Amino acid sequence: MTIKTVTDTLLILVIICLTTACDMLESHPYDTRVTGETNINEKNIQRIESLLKGRKSFRFAVISDTQRWYDSTLDAVRSIRARQDIDFVLHGGDQSDFGVTKEFLWMRDILNQLDVPYVCAIGNHDCLGTGRDVFRTVYGDTNFAFTAGDMRFICLNTNALEYDYSEPVPDFDFMTAQLDKMRQDSLTRCAFLMHAAPQSDVFNNNVAGVFQHYLHMFPGLQFCMHGHTHALTVTDIYNDGILYYQCPNIDKRIYLVFTINEEGYDYEAVEF
Amino acid sequence: MTMKQWNFKLLTLFLLMLAGPLAAQQAEAPSEPTEADTLQTPFMYRYDRRLERYRRNFNSLIPQTHVMQLYGDMGLVSIGVGWDYGKREQWETNLLLGFIPKYNSDKMRLSFTLKQNYTPWSFSVSDAVSIEPLMTGMYLNTVFGHQFWTHEPDRYPKGYYGFSTRVRIHLFVGQSVTLAIPPEKRFIAKAVSAFYELSTCDLYVVSAFTNRYLKPRDYLRLSFGLRFKIL
Repeated sequence: MTIKTVTDTLLILVIICLTTACDMLESHPYDTRVTGETNINEKNIQRIESLLKGRKSFRFAVISDTQRWYDSTLDAVRSIRARQDIDFVLHGGDQSDFGVTKEFLWMRDILNQLDVPYVCAIGNHDCLGTGRDVFRTVYGDTNFAFTAGDMRFICLNTNALEYDYSEPVPDFDFMTAQLDKMRQDSLTRCAFLMHAAPQSDVFNNNVAGVFQHYLHMFPGLQFCMHGHTHALTVTDIYNDGILYYQCPNIDKRIYLVFTINEEGYDYEAVEF
Repeated sequence: MTMKQWNFKLLTLFLLMLAGPLAAQQAEAPSEPTEADTLQTPFMYRYDRRLERYRRNFNSLIPQTHVMQLYGDMGLVSIGVGWDYGKREQWETNLLLGFIPKYNSDKMRLSFTLKQNYTPWSFSVSDAVSIEPLMTGMYLNTVFGHQFWTHEPDRYPKGYYGFSTRVRIHLFVGQSVTLAIPPEKRFIAKAVSAFYELSTCDLYVVSAFTNRYLKPRDYLRLSFGLRFKIL
């Protein structure tokens, strides 16, 4: 190899590197540097609320635990897009496996290929390292709620094990405020989305019973949705009639579809 | 090459990284009793000789290089020192302190890197310029902050996450150009090398392995740096 070819290949390599450089320049896997869209939940909540205003029947899909399964998540997104009958999508948390900044951005870019609005709850894996900071930046508050048609959707952070009492998880003040909001807006039904269900390992099980007691105060509670244990389950955890639907991890290649109408709801597990 | 062979090579590399500076030190040890020593012995106490040896040993620990590196998952800017050794100084061990900006987190963070370089060839282009077509090696990085742990805290069931958020293992390949500075023009170094590296870390490797969706630009990282040869 002559010196000229050495210098030429060096130059070509440097040029190739510089052109694709921006994505490849990183201070640290946990550096929390976010490029592209931020504050997605708030934006998409506005879209959902305006799209479904006044409607009493609608249909939404639930996906969950998509961590490190980019190919399967992309397939799920394509499958949901192809249906054309979904109004919005809920993500049950755990988009990242390690809490690494880029994981959130990769997943966001896949979910952004949906042609309907989506919102994401926070999972325990999303809290690792600086993951919770990135989640806040990309998606927003870890407790949030919105009204789809005549139904309130209350999305809670239930990953108490990751917070070590640094903030209330689950946040009962937030739940109380939602109760007031429902009364104020005369909403007669609601559903909950959380990553980990009561009695699971990351839930604050000291208040699991209290949590359930709170749920009973909500008018027209239809059901709860969650993820976390990577299985398709429907459980009446406290034998009190409140059903917890678990969406399995995306690599099981299943998403849930809920159809809401004036009489109530239908539920379906869809393979893709 | 099988995975087992790879593992063995990585292990060897890591051991060399640890053993390198020690080996360099031992190589110098036999030349210790000098002629000057024997000439001056009548005037030297035993303690003076001990002191001299002590100074010489510690002198051999003085870093030969200063390094500044940008990006590479060890900090926006990392600065550090290095020791080169081996017949052609083809091995180098670096210790680097990295600065990670605050971005969207609560504060700026520091990270610490132990880096082992292997530069098998150096080709002279002219009297002053030489090119190293391959630099390769690995580094261990640790990031400071209460959010990060080496072992999972006790509150988790044993082996719950099964990885460390604090310690990363990186592999890299790179290239460099070295400019030797003539003695009369030297100010901060006798030679300066500019280098770039492509690297990846354990978490990116396991993500890329199972997903066609991730492309090289997702799991490879680019970094640049300058290396000042002092001694």
